[in-house]
Amino acid sequence: MSRIGVFVCHCGENISRTVDVERVAAEIGKLPGVALATDYKYMCSDPGQGLLKKAIAEHRLDGLVVAACSPRMHEKTFRNAAKAAGLNPFLCEMANIREHCSWVHEDREEATAKAIDIVRLMVERVKKDKALQPITVPITKRALVIGGGIAGIQAALDIADCGHQVLLVEREPSIGGHMAQLSETFPTLDCSQCIMTPKMVDVANHPNITLHTWSEIENVDGYIGNFQVTIRKKARSVDMDKCTGCGVCMAKCPQKKIKSTFDRGLGTRPAIYVPFPQAVPNTPVIDRENCTYFKSGKCGVCAKVCGPGAVDYDQQDELITEPVGAIVVATGFELYTINEKPKGSPIKGYGEFGHGTIPDVIDGMTFERLASASGPTGGKILRPSDGREPKQVVFVQCVGSRAREKGISYCSKVCCMYTAKHTMLYKHKVHDGQAYVFFMDARTPGKSYDEFWRRAVEEEEAVYIRGMVSRLYQKGDKIVVMGSDISVGVQVEIEADLVVLATAVQPRQGADALAQKLGISYDTYNFYSEAHAKLKPVECATAGIYLAGACQGPKDIPDTVSQASAAAAKVMTLFSRDQLEREPIVARVNERNCVACFYCKKVCPYGAVEEKEIRDRQGNLVRVVAYVNPGVCGGCGTCQATCPSKSVELEGYTDEQVMAMIEAL
Amino acid sequence: MNSTAQKLETSTPIDTSCYADVTDAIRKEAARILADGTVTAVVGYKAGRRAGTTMPAIVTDPAEAGGLIFSPACVNNLALYLTKAKKDVVKKGRIAIVAKGCDMRALAGLMGESQIKREEIFIIGVVCAGVKGSGAVNSEPLTTGNLARKCRECTVRTPEGADLVAGTMPSLPELTPVEALEMARLEAMTPAERWAFWKEQFSRCVRCMACRQVCPFCYCEQCLCDKNRPQAVESTPRPAGNMAWHIVRAMHLAGRCAGCAECERVCPMEIPLNLLNRKMALEMKELYGFEAGLAPQEKGPLSSYKEDDDQSFIK
Repeated sequence: MSRIGVFVCHCGENISRTVDVERVAAEIGKLPGVALATDYKYMCSDPGQGLLKKAIAEHRLDGLVVAACSPRMHEKTFRNAAKAAGLNPFLCEMANIREHCSWVHEDREEATAKAIDIVRLMVERVKKDKALQPITVPITKRALVIGGGIAGIQAALDIADCGHQVLLVEREPSIGGHMAQLSETFPTLDCSQCIMTPKMVDVANHPNITLHTWSEIENVDGYIGNFQVTIRKKARSVDMDKCTGCGVCMAKCPQKKIKSTFDRGLGTRPAIYVPFPQAVPNTPVIDRENCTYFKSGKCGVCAKVCGPGAVDYDQQDELITEPVGAIVVATGFELYTINEKPKGSPIKGYGEFGHGTIPDVIDGMTFERLASASGPTGGKILRPSDGREPKQVVFVQCVGSRAREKGISYCSKVCCMYTAKHTMLYKHKVHDGQAYVFFMDARTPGKSYDEFWRRAVEEEEAVYIRGMVSRLYQKGDKIVVMGSDISVGVQVEIEADLVVLATAVQPRQGADALAQKLGISYDTYNFYSEAHAKLKPVECATAGIYLAGACQGPKDIPDTVSQASAAAAKVMTLFSRDQLEREPIVARVNERNCVACFYCKKVCPYGAVEEKEIRDRQGNLVRVVAYVNPGVCGGCGTCQATCPSKSVELEGYTDEQVMAMIEAL
Repeated sequence: MNSTAQKLETSTPIDTSCYADVTDAIRKEAARILADGTVTAVVGYKAGRRAGTTMPAIVTDPAEAGGLIFSPACVNNLALYLTKAKKDVVKKGRIAIVAKGCDMRALAGLMGESQIKREEIFIIGVVCAGVKGSGAVNSEPLTTGNLARKCRECTVRTPEGADLVAGTMPSLPELTPVEALEMARLEAMTPAERWAFWKEQFSRCVRCMACRQVCPFCYCEQCLCDKNRPQAVESTPRPAGNMAWHIVRAMHLAGRCAGCAECERVCPMEIPLNLLNRKMALEMKELYGFEAGLAPQEKGPLSSYKEDDDQSFIK
């Protein structure tokens, strides 16, 4: 006969308000196999746990049911208490009479009856629980960081400084991301490149960081501590070992009129190029789509002029597979292109704003390039259409953001601040110019942020108009901006020379595809989801994968860097141990009955099922059966539901236990 | 119910000349592959003890290949002999099997379920004008009257994917789709009527388990319905257990059963089991556009997840 202890928690009044906890304890106490049933105000408190520990010894309990909240909340707490008292922690189960009962019912009589049923089921389950031992798996102390923007750079540097190997994978030819494109940064107006490029160099020189630029994640297998990552190193057409970065190839390339994406189409670059002069690594890439040699087979100038003979037209994409123990995802953002509706997206475009059709309507990032000393205009604010200096500039905030009717309801967080910065940069460069800002409200929570915004308004004399723009159109060489000023209730019309739209921050294209490879979740906008909005802001629900930067949601640089360091800290916490303990709630195969149809293998979302050969002593193959790798198994039970001969069962949720629970009802 | 004995149409004779050609081809091929060591055994049919009947045969000697036949009495689905249910056969080495189109679908299904490997078997496909239903008289020739129900709606008279296909298909007279009509009749019923229909059918079940023993897909060595710790299905022939058994059977065959109707043929109580199989197959086709056994498949719709899977059945 079992000796089970049942502890019914009041949860202050959370449970006892609707459930008669004393009666639950009294009724359960009558069940065969229950040695003790009692109630207490706060089971999770120190005295509550003490009560449980004392009872284990006094009543020689061989199983525990704590009737309280959800196991997600306190299962660990009580299992640890059981362990401390010398009982196998997996003989302790929780009966959820709070979320599943008291919180969702009003009638005390019925709620009490339901609570008794819930506890009774768990008593039956615990009777058939087995003492399980935790599974230990080794940890590969090597991290993968996906994305080489400021988030990825910070995370990689922190982990590498702690002494662990880091693989940094960047899709573009150079690391640096969006921060390398910015001119000055708020709220201090220090030059973005000046603070960014030293960090890029640190990455390149760090002995613990292996940099893979012009590379993408092809596939991810495995689990926390033991991932296998396949990286596609795209053909660069330049041998990285031979290239000295002298730049002769770029100077001699006859194809020079290709629009530079780094300069947002304002400048041009050759077909063999580095995105910007401070690129890391300073090794060019051949843009095969635009290269004359790749298009027609003629030219080959770069190969001829290259002293070290680094240009290699025959280079192929290369796939490498690397073992890593943790992954930091830092894939960043991109700006909403408002002129066209993205394919298959519920987001609507802003055709009425003329972005893409009126050349002098640009987005915020393009303005950054105009204002940047290393930009296509050398830092002069000039109109893209005719190169004249604009005397009236209209900035429009919240383009795309906070517009539910257009498909995006969130705030992009950085636009209020960067628009204020833009008005200042403009004023500093065009002293007789006037900046106007259409805004809904200024959101400036951050250290020295509001002071910065007030400076733009009060000292730098930007005119802030509270209201939205309805339409933009070209009139001669001016752009007429029609909008409303809701604070005085009038329609306004401004004839602007340049219009800058603060377009919404969105996740990178293909963020969803990467999430599917990684097995992490994402929201309707494709921003990656953290495990808990408040208490686990950098962890993914998938163990061993962490988030940093704008891939999780719009963020400014200080927040991004903080989150990147936090993600790095989580990785280092993981790497501080040699082995990882996992809950032994995993599936086990009854090899005697398995008929090797491998339906379990087909449905396993973790890829945990393997084919196992059973051989006799002479080494002859007797049969093949399914084998569940306990290190990989996620304990979802899909195999158990699928197995036609019921030859695979999840520990703690065996058919026998579930049937016993059903029969107790 | 199984009976072709319901004489629904006037019996028109069916051209059975192809069976002799097929028999010749099987004999020649069996002798050849046994003699040259391609296979160690051939699973086929030989004449039964009574005239006009056949029985499954396993031939290992090329000299005995002459005893193999193919006739309208070759009702068995020989795919069963390649499953774990017949371990002694599988142990013989590489095996050749005589397969009608319907048997071929079972073979394809078994390949998809890792039960047999294509390279380990040699398939002698046979064209088939149909086999006799269970009520047919042995001495009678094959007619539209005594044809098995499943053969009336056969879509795989010429098997695909075999190592060799013996015979050429004769043209057939028009056949009444008895089973489809019966399906339509059941579909037209209210759920209560249908429940009553099946309750009555299953109440006759004696749990002889012949349907399980003959099914090529019931290859589990320990059937979950025989388990008693915990017991999922009552094992004695009482209404609740009977209902549970037949529902389990239908669900386990959904997306797998290719419709050889052997379960229905062997049922001593004449329960129309293939109607259930066909209903499940119809659901699979409507929901996922899937038909079992047309080709060996790694994953069927019930063991894979696609974003655009039809979810309309979730209510």
